[in-house]
Amino acid sequence: MAPRLSRRTVLRGMGATIALPLMDIMTPFQSVRGSTAPEAPLRILFFNVPNGAHMPAWTPTKDGKGFELPETLKVLANHRKYLTVLTGLTLDGAHAHGDGGGDHARSGAAFLTGAHPRKTDGADIQNSVSVDQVTAAALGAKTRLPSLELGLEGSAQAGSCDSGYSCAYSSNLSWRNSTSPLAKEINPAAIFDRLFTGENVAGAAKNKSQKIEQRKSILDFVQEDARDLQRKLGAADQRKLDEYLYAIRDVENRIVKSDKLRVGEDGIPNYPRPAGVPREWDEHCKLMMDMTALAIQSDSTRVVTFMYANEGSNRGYPEIGAPEGHHDLSHHGKSEDKQAKVQKINAYHLSKFANFVDQVASIQENGASLLDNCLILYGSGISDGDRHNHNDLPIILLGRASGRLEANMHVRYPDNTPLCNLYLWMLHQVGIKADSFGDSNGVLKIS
Amino acid sequence: MLASLRIPLVIILTAALGLSRDALGIDLALRDQEYQKQILPLLERTCFDCHSGTEPAGGMALNHFPTAKSVLKERKTWEKIIQRVDIGDMPPPDADPLSAEDRAKLIDWLRSTITDVDCGRTPNPGSVTLRRLNRNEYRNTIRDLLGIDYAPASDFPGDDVGYGFDNIGDVLTLPPILMEKYLAAAEEITSQAIFAPEPGQLFEISLSGEQLSFKDGVNKGNGRLNFYANGFAEFSEQAPWPGAYTLELNMSASKAGDDPARMAISVDGKKIREIAVVAEVENPKVYSLPLRLRSGKRTIKIEFINDFYVEAKGKSPAQDRNAYLFNVRLVSRKPAEPTVAESLPESHKKIVIAQPGSLVPPEEAFRKVLQPLASRAFRRPATKAELDRIVQLATKAHEEGESYEGSIRLAIQALIISPHFLFKVEQVPKEIKAGEYPKISQFELATRISYFLWSTMPDDRLLQLAIKKELDKPEIIRSEVKRMIQDKRANEFVENFAGQWLTLRKLDLFQPNSQLFPSWNDRIRELARRETFTFFAGVMRDDMSIMTLLDGDFTYLNEDLARYYGIAGVKGKEFRKVSLSGQPRMGLLTQASILAVTSNPTRTSPVKRGKWILDNVLGTPPPNPPPGVPELEKGKLTGTLREQIEQHRANAACASCHKLMDPLGLALENFDAVGLWRTQDAGEKIDASGVLPDGSSVKHAGDLIRTLRSKNPDQFARCLTEKMLCFALGRGLEYYDRCTVDRILVKLKADDYRFSTLVTEILVSDAFQRHGEREAL
Repeated sequence: MAPRLSRRTVLRGMGATIALPLMDIMTPFQSVRGSTAPEAPLRILFFNVPNGAHMPAWTPTKDGKGFELPETLKVLANHRKYLTVLTGLTLDGAHAHGDGGGDHARSGAAFLTGAHPRKTDGADIQNSVSVDQVTAAALGAKTRLPSLELGLEGSAQAGSCDSGYSCAYSSNLSWRNSTSPLAKEINPAAIFDRLFTGENVAGAAKNKSQKIEQRKSILDFVQEDARDLQRKLGAADQRKLDEYLYAIRDVENRIVKSDKLRVGEDGIPNYPRPAGVPREWDEHCKLMMDMTALAIQSDSTRVVTFMYANEGSNRGYPEIGAPEGHHDLSHHGKSEDKQAKVQKINAYHLSKFANFVDQVASIQENGASLLDNCLILYGSGISDGDRHNHNDLPIILLGRASGRLEANMHVRYPDNTPLCNLYLWMLHQVGIKADSFGDSNGVLKIS
Repeated sequence: MLASLRIPLVIILTAALGLSRDALGIDLALRDQEYQKQILPLLERTCFDCHSGTEPAGGMALNHFPTAKSVLKERKTWEKIIQRVDIGDMPPPDADPLSAEDRAKLIDWLRSTITDVDCGRTPNPGSVTLRRLNRNEYRNTIRDLLGIDYAPASDFPGDDVGYGFDNIGDVLTLPPILMEKYLAAAEEITSQAIFAPEPGQLFEISLSGEQLSFKDGVNKGNGRLNFYANGFAEFSEQAPWPGAYTLELNMSASKAGDDPARMAISVDGKKIREIAVVAEVENPKVYSLPLRLRSGKRTIKIEFINDFYVEAKGKSPAQDRNAYLFNVRLVSRKPAEPTVAESLPESHKKIVIAQPGSLVPPEEAFRKVLQPLASRAFRRPATKAELDRIVQLATKAHEEGESYEGSIRLAIQALIISPHFLFKVEQVPKEIKAGEYPKISQFELATRISYFLWSTMPDDRLLQLAIKKELDKPEIIRSEVKRMIQDKRANEFVENFAGQWLTLRKLDLFQPNSQLFPSWNDRIRELARRETFTFFAGVMRDDMSIMTLLDGDFTYLNEDLARYYGIAGVKGKEFRKVSLSGQPRMGLLTQASILAVTSNPTRTSPVKRGKWILDNVLGTPPPNPPPGVPELEKGKLTGTLREQIEQHRANAACASCHKLMDPLGLALENFDAVGLWRTQDAGEKIDASGVLPDGSSVKHAGDLIRTLRSKNPDQFARCLTEKMLCFALGRGLEYYDRCTVDRILVKLKADDYRFSTLVTEILVSDAFQRHGEREAL
């Protein structure tokens, strides 16, 4: 048998100009050889919107299969058979529990962790690991990127973010552990590069395998620095170095796994590389959603979190006739005008999501729609923005979770049913046999 | 009353029971006794009715405080409680009444417990968590270290903010995505900073095993050469240039006997190396050997030298050691042409200060280049071990074929990804005794000073002073502050400190409705921000009183911005100092940037403006709005904005805080949501008058500002001092920091609130210069 060319030799012949075809050359070893299609993997995605929702226009009045679509959810009419509306779920961790104001920061921090974040402006940050990260820890080894954390608004803001809570709480959904939030990427160009060129190539002419070797040698070098330093520092500083070392190892793994990028039979769509962050919110949102779709389509990752805005965001939406800030409007004081505008913003946000769902539904994978293999959660950690209540949350699911979810129904739960019961169910779907998650008191029954 | 009784008690108890006061001079055991016997019963009787259980009023549960220590730990909460009880707002009329005596007792005990820090002894200077460079600092430091302005640093994920600032160690995390960006940035930066010759022409010859000539125990078949017994194969090739070549042999072997198959490689008949082939027959491996060849025709011979064969005998099969050669490659890059020195980037000339040559081995040249660089990158002299390692990294890359310059690039990449560069490392002594707090090192001090005032690495002068161990001398610090403030790098202090203190970074998010406010646009936004920065910088560089920030009767404008304000006589694009006499404006509070950042997109928000003043000028943030604000009974609010606000205040739950905020904000009502002067709003005449919480009545913005300035100047001074100290230290202030703030205020006041005095006193404080403890209360 003629020996196969090593990866090294293949790369050497390729030259500098080729970016995407790298994947085509590397992948056939897995996907072409086997004639039977492997089972399509399940993708788990979480979309979060700030400031709650206008619930009267969100919650269907009828339960079960025959529910009618309420005003806000009408944009999802095309995907009704993939839609599950869950009413009555509660995020108890976001409640004050004696800590006073700060509902926005708390609900952002608690949304995927179910924890009650410690009130601090900085020192002693304490939350808990988030459900997407638990999932990523289990699924991540199978893909190039264990998870993607995306958003439309960066972390930096001036001033205290919410009543004595650090901005880390209101601007991060994903938490690797109780002290380390995972910052989100907001630049579509940067995501594109991470997904498809692997690295931001400087001096692209350089022999790629040599470059990988050099990167490894640098990472080895600085790891030694960090370990040496870690021995000399106090506890709080060690936590920082632990973050550093984790990040180094993570990047190292990505370099090692860079040949794991899998491309479907029909290949990656011919998508142009975005130029950067567009000025218009509308366009920015669309591009980020496109990147999300590309990421799961190419199976670069199976876990994505997507934050529309930092919790408590006061962005105005003049393009839909709601120029006042979202947060200010959400404190509507029963004003009909303000409530109508909040509803408009809800519907606007959801329409962007609906476009994303359109796109995912149109992608074919192993004879089914990609949406069949998705489990997408969309919602907020606040119900009514005026009352700041964290029960009766607006939560919907899209997708059939590879046949594990019946969908096309509205399920109503007893008040104060933990949102974490849903997360526990989700963890079970990806094969994580957890007994509990956050404040769960059982596995949510969706029927 | 209580206080005067307490002191002897403490002394008596301390003496009698041998109790030691803790580091703060607070006797917690005594405090706890007092709390259990006197205070807790009072709270239970008066407060617990509403403030306990699962849904306490205002989200504030007071039954979570079993000990005096637990009270101390939640100082901020209790400060607000004192505030509410003190103004008579709590307990509310329908609660169990609190007698004047009990009220005084409660407030006195709480206040003395949470603020009583013994400043006479050595208060804890506190401990800063390891701070990562934030993205501004990163960009500036790269610029000063390597001479490259790396703009994509602004594309790094946002740095989280704590205590209002983005340089707080506790919240500056390092997620993997950022590490990925650091890595990419390091490659990009070094490729800009250092010119490395493009890889030269490539020579590559690839032959299948069967193409080689062979002799003795060798034959061909199955797409390979088979060495069935000792024998050799060889090929001849024109080496196009002298230098380093790589020979790659794709081989396998069948195993027999104790040894692996051995191949001897020779060039022109001279044996160079032996390799052991361990890859199994069907899984050949590439064996790679470095060669040095002269140019011209070279013959390379590959010889099998340890054949092994034992015939089959009875049940045991034959043992046969063979080797198989599938293909051969010979590769080389032509050494690069020497570069013309003039065409090199400036950064390159500064960094690459040595070249290897016949007398200078590469390792020595690397050491010369990297020693100063490593020390500047780490902001302290690099240790010998560190230097050895980094030189080794470069040398190894060079030996493996990377160019000299390329190897320097690689070493610099390692330096700027190292934790010693990315973090402001401070080596904390293993044990710190209360009362004996060691100084941070001179170099750590240089770093603290320089990132505080410049948001970048220390310059040569600061490092020189650190080397001479003079940097902590007060007179040196005083003169350095003056020098550094005048330096243009101090603009970073203006943008990063003032920009965050005054919440001007949020100005980018402010999108006023363009139909209501057509004169506002992105250009005005930038000019307005620049006005405030220039004004702050003016007060700083002219070393004026910090009170000028409040009531300065001048500002800085250019023609466009002056026209926006309706101020005549300013021509040209340059900003210049403009007198405000005859204008209804003075100081920061009347500048468009601040008026806009505290407004809603469609209207002004007196509440936000009032809160902004409480937060950033008076340093008394109002209590948090209770969760689930009760809905107003009448539904929609009506009337002018002032009337709506007053209706809102009619609700007792809202009134207590809004009576603090609203009058402050309403006094600025003559300025619309984009900071323009007006006398009417929606057809109604503006009424900007009001009564401040302290009883003084104000008619308009000017009155308000003069009152803030004259009635209690120390309150603004304290507020600014606390904000600046927090930014300087990179941590939130703790209760023991009150001593530091108090000391600074005394000096500041004695020097007419001069700006440089504030900065100097922060720099000479123990909190800035010493390692303290992180208190686990």
